[in-house]
Amino acid sequence: MGTEYRVMGLFTDENRAVSAIEAIEDSPWPLRRVHSPVPSHKISDALGLKKSKVGYFTLAGGIAGFFAGFLLAAFTASQWNLVVSGKPVIALVPFFIVGFEFTILFAVFGNVAGLIHQMQLPEFTGLEEYDPRCSGEHFGILAACKADDLEGLKTFFQTRGGEINIFSEEQEPP
Amino acid sequence: MTELTFAKIDQTVLDTLKPPDRTYWLTVGILFAGALAGAGCWIYQILTGIGVAGMNNPVAWGTYLINFVFWVGIAHSGTLISAILHLLRAGWRNPIARAAETMTVFAVCIAGLFPFIHLGRVWLVFYMLPIPNQRNLWQNFQSPLMFDVVAISTYLTVSSLFWYTGMLPDLAVVRDRATGIRKKIFTVISLGWTGAHEQWRHYARGYLFFAALATPLVISVHSVVSWDFALAVVPGWHTTIFAPYFVAGAIHSGLAMVLTLMIPIRKLFHYEKIITIEVLESVAKTIIFTGLIVGFAYGTEFFIAWYSQNPVEMAIFKYRPTGDYALGFWIMVVCNTIIPLLFFFKKIRTTIFWLFGISIFVNIGMWYERFVIIITSVSRDFIPHAWGLYSPTIIEFGIMLGAFCLFFFFFLLFVKHLPSVSMTEMKETVDQGAGHGD
Repeated sequence: MGTEYRVMGLFTDENRAVSAIEAIEDSPWPLRRVHSPVPSHKISDALGLKKSKVGYFTLAGGIAGFFAGFLLAAFTASQWNLVVSGKPVIALVPFFIVGFEFTILFAVFGNVAGLIHQMQLPEFTGLEEYDPRCSGEHFGILAACKADDLEGLKTFFQTRGGEINIFSEEQEPP
Repeated sequence: MTELTFAKIDQTVLDTLKPPDRTYWLTVGILFAGALAGAGCWIYQILTGIGVAGMNNPVAWGTYLINFVFWVGIAHSGTLISAILHLLRAGWRNPIARAAETMTVFAVCIAGLFPFIHLGRVWLVFYMLPIPNQRNLWQNFQSPLMFDVVAISTYLTVSSLFWYTGMLPDLAVVRDRATGIRKKIFTVISLGWTGAHEQWRHYARGYLFFAALATPLVISVHSVVSWDFALAVVPGWHTTIFAPYFVAGAIHSGLAMVLTLMIPIRKLFHYEKIITIEVLESVAKTIIFTGLIVGFAYGTEFFIAWYSQNPVEMAIFKYRPTGDYALGFWIMVVCNTIIPLLFFFKKIRTTIFWLFGISIFVNIGMWYERFVIIITSVSRDFIPHAWGLYSPTIIEFGIMLGAFCLFFFFFLLFVKHLPSVSMTEMKETVDQGAGHGD
C-alpha cells in the first residue's frame, strides 16, 4: 500500500499563486486543481485553459427554442378552423415574437444544462480535498506527491510564501 | 473601495446573516399580516365576484393592471443592473447587483399575481396554457395578451436562474463559515461549489451568456407589456412610441426602487464602505437619464396627437392634463420628470436624505403614470355616451397594500438569510481577479 499525498499551497496573493502554478508545471509533482475565490485571467493563462464549450449548449437551446415557440404558435393557430377576416393562419410577425421569447428561454435552459454538464455539479466529493479558506481570500494549489517527496513539495510551497494543507489518500498497489 | 480586502468584504456581508433581533421579526410579522390582509381581500373578491372592485363599463382595466405594469417595471432595473451594466463593465453595479436581481425576482412574482387577480374566476387560468383540451380551444398567439403570458413567465424563469447562478460562489462562502444545520443547507444549495479553475472556466462563460440573453429579454418583456396597450385601437394607447417609452419608464421606476431599498439596507447593515455614496450617485445620474427619456416621451405623445390632427387623439391628450384625472397626470409629470432633475445638483445626489426622498417621489410618479395611461384612455373612448369614471374600492386598495407588504416581506427575509451583496463580484472590484464574464 502506497500513500499518495495531496498538498495544497494556499496563497493570499494572486501573483504568487500564479508563479507557483508556473513553477509546479516544470516540477515532478502533478498539479491536480487550483481553487480561487474569484475568476482570474492570470490563473487561466498560467494553466493554459481553453474556452468553455458551454456556448454550444446555449446555442442549441436557442435554436430549439425558436422553432418550439414558432411551431407552438403555428400549431395552436392551425387548430382553429374558422378563418377570421381572411388573415393568414400562420402569421409571421406575431409568431416571431413568441419564437423570440422561446429562443431566450430555451437558450437559458441550454446554458444551465451546459453549466451543470461541464462543471459536473452537483458534486460533493470535491469538498473532501478542499480548504474552506479558498472561498475567502486564499488561492489554493493542489498538487500530488509520494510520501518520500512530501517534504520537498511542502518546501516548494512554503518558499513561495504559501501556507500548507495536506490531504492523504491510500492507494492500491499496482 | 481601496480600503476593502477580501476578508473585510466577507466579514461585512456575513455579519448581516447573524441571527436577527426582535425588531426584525416584528417587522416581518407586520408585513406578513399586511400580505394576509391582501389575500383576505382577494378571497373576498373570489367569493363575492369581481364586482367588488371598482372596474366598470367602460373602465374594465383598473388598479390590478396598473399594479401589474408597475411591478413589471420595478423588476426591470434589476436586469439592467445585473445584465446590461455587466456587459458595459460598469463597476459601480457590483455592490447593488445582488439586491437588484432579488428585487427583480420578487417584483415579477408580485406582478404575475395581478393578472390572476384581475381574471376574477382565477380557476380558469389554465385557459391560457396550450394544453390539449376537450373544448377544442387553443390559444391565439396573435394576441398581445398571449405574448405577455410567454414573456412574463420567461422573464420570471430566466431572472430566477440568473439570480441563483450568480449567487452560487457566495453560497459556498457562507457554507464554508457556517456550522450545524445552516452548513448542511448551504452545502446542498451551493451544489458542491469549490471555486476550482474548471468550475470558474465554465461559470464565467455561462454567466456572460446569461447577461447577453437577459439583455434583449428585458427590453422585449416591457415592449410586450406595452403592446398589451399599443396593439389595441384605443386613443392614447395606439402608438408606436409605447415600447421604448415603457422600457425607459420601467428602468426609471426600478432604479428609484433600488435606491428606496438600498439606502435603508446600507444603514442597517453597515454597508457604507461597500455601497459607497459614489454608487448611489451613479444610480441617481442614471435616474436623470431615464427621467429625461420619460419626459421626452410624454412630450412626444402630445406633439404627435397635435401633429396627427386626429380629433380623438387630440381630445384624449387634452383630457389628461385638464380632465377628471388631471391631479394624477400632474403628479406623474412632476414626480417623474421635474423632481429627478434635482439630481443635476451634486449636493443633492450625494445626500442620503434627498436620494431617498426623490426615489419615493419617482415611485409614486411611476405608479401614477400607469394609472393615467390605463384609466384616462378607457374612461374616455370614442363614443361620448359610453364614457365613464373609475375609482378604486377598498378591496383594490387592500390587495395593493397586500402586494407591497408581500414584496417587502420576501425582501426582508432574503436580506437576513442570503448574502444581500455579491461577495464574489465585490472581490473582483478589489485589485485581484478579473471579471465574471471575461
